[in-house]
Amino acid sequence: MISLRRVTKRFGKRVAVHALNLEVPQGRIFGLLGHNGAGKSTTIGILLGQVYPDEGRVFVAGVDVFADRHHALARVGAIFETPAFYDYLSGATNLRIFCEYTRKGEAKRGKEIVNLVGLEKRIHDRVGTYSHGMRQRLALAQALLPDPQLLILDEPSEGLDPEGMHEIRNLILRLNREWGLTILFSSHLLNEVQQLCSHLAVMQEGRLLFSGEWQQLGLDQSWLWIKVDRQEEAEKRLVGDGLLVGFETDGKGRLQEGRTAADVAKWLVERRFEIKAVTPIERTLEDFYLETVQKDKRVPSSEFQV
Amino acid sequence: MFFTQLQNELLKLFARKRTYIGFGAFVCMEVIILALLQLPKAQKAFSELLTRNGYGFEEYYSGLTLAMVMILATVFLLGGIYLALVSGDVVAKEVEEGTMRMILSRPISRVRVLLVKWLACVIYTVVLVFFIGATGLMAGVIYRGGLGKLFVFAPPEHIFGLFDTAEGTWRFVRGICFLSLVLQVISTLGFMFSCFNMKPAAATILTLSVMFLDFVLRHMEYFEDIQKYFIAYHAACWVRTFHDVVPWWEILESLAYLAALNLTFFVVGTMNFCTRDFKS
Repeated sequence: MISLRRVTKRFGKRVAVHALNLEVPQGRIFGLLGHNGAGKSTTIGILLGQVYPDEGRVFVAGVDVFADRHHALARVGAIFETPAFYDYLSGATNLRIFCEYTRKGEAKRGKEIVNLVGLEKRIHDRVGTYSHGMRQRLALAQALLPDPQLLILDEPSEGLDPEGMHEIRNLILRLNREWGLTILFSSHLLNEVQQLCSHLAVMQEGRLLFSGEWQQLGLDQSWLWIKVDRQEEAEKRLVGDGLLVGFETDGKGRLQEGRTAADVAKWLVERRFEIKAVTPIERTLEDFYLETVQKDKRVPSSEFQV
Repeated sequence: MFFTQLQNELLKLFARKRTYIGFGAFVCMEVIILALLQLPKAQKAFSELLTRNGYGFEEYYSGLTLAMVMILATVFLLGGIYLALVSGDVVAKEVEEGTMRMILSRPISRVRVLLVKWLACVIYTVVLVFFIGATGLMAGVIYRGGLGKLFVFAPPEHIFGLFDTAEGTWRFVRGICFLSLVLQVISTLGFMFSCFNMKPAAATILTLSVMFLDFVLRHMEYFEDIQKYFIAYHAACWVRTFHDVVPWWEILESLAYLAALNLTFFVVGTMNFCTRDFKS
């Protein structure tokens, strides 16, 4: 659905996005993760044709965004971190105005969308009286009105209370499952990404550090923290004998399928290793993210894949 | 779709309370001028100007004349302020508030967005000018009890015009039409600055600075030989329609000059806007 090919963007001397190659498959929820200033919003701006890349090409639904923006974005809806509306006009009028930048408002569809986002009771009130959560829901409504195939969400939960975040998450899941929308959303909230995404990309300082499916993160697999006297030897032999897939930093190893912590402990005892710790650990997205960005900081240049 | 978009743009413009500051200001100004004209010294000066040239004060101190006095004295400077305020806001305010980014997430070209906004400024200018003309005339007619004959005194343009009611009314309406064309240059200049990467207030101030500087320079005696290069000179062409023998070629030349300026401002503003990056 989305394809970015060696996209680079500089603002003066600062490289905001560096040689980015990114593919977002159709029908998936794709999370774009990164710290503040990683290049997520710039990437989204480039996708929408609002930021001009210095190099590279961008395709949405197979159409070059900068060669034929009209067709590329015809079935795309977008929400930004701080959704902006005409506060002195009603929600309904705002929706009509935004919709009519591209095509005449469809009253029936408008009602359906407004009911979906739960604004039916307040849609005729001035947007200036809306809470932040209501504005976010109105933003979602304006993104859905053009009947999009692709929804781009830039920090959709920013500033929302827990209930608001929960509502937005449920809506996103529903839109993906029931409407088949491809959803790309950027966030620095790991919990949110963990709950929603089937695919993930990690950016740091304009570079792509990781891009892949959720299974590739190995978060649903068992991990052990192993500390023994001859650590290096143990790590090599455990992997060689097929008990562990591999080791990350600080003695964290991923168990082979079918193997348990007890198997590892028994193996270590039989080979006379002095065991200091064999502890099962739950690996989270936060662990993966921090390890990924830490690895990047140790490598002074060029992007690499995990 | 284009007319729907223009309609929405006008809705956005006229739904803002700030848009009506200019309308309110001119009504207040007209009332103040009429009130000040009650002063004996003001009326005496007026009377002497007419009687010295052999014309009756009562005959020409009329609704039409007072409307012209109010408009001549204030429209370029005061009108310029409110036109600059609205046109300086029209793009920059939406960029500042973030609604422009929402618009540009739609598959609509930037040129189309700007064209619609510029046309909204054009329409606002026409509405404001006609409002000024209509309320000025109404105030004058109420004060003097009728239209009466028209007396136009504009020394910078060497105009001392006297017209009967029918001719005077026609010239007044025609003059307002030309004025609405002429003042587009202020709106388009404000629109141009609004397209640049600056705050709305900065766009407004820059527009006013250019207009006031131009106005001051045009009226300095030392620059009389080069006054045709100033916007204010050509903007005054609407007043020249009150000459006994109207210099149509000169007026058309001025309108063409202003039209060329409008086109230049629009193109420069649009080119700048179309090359900008928009991100949060």
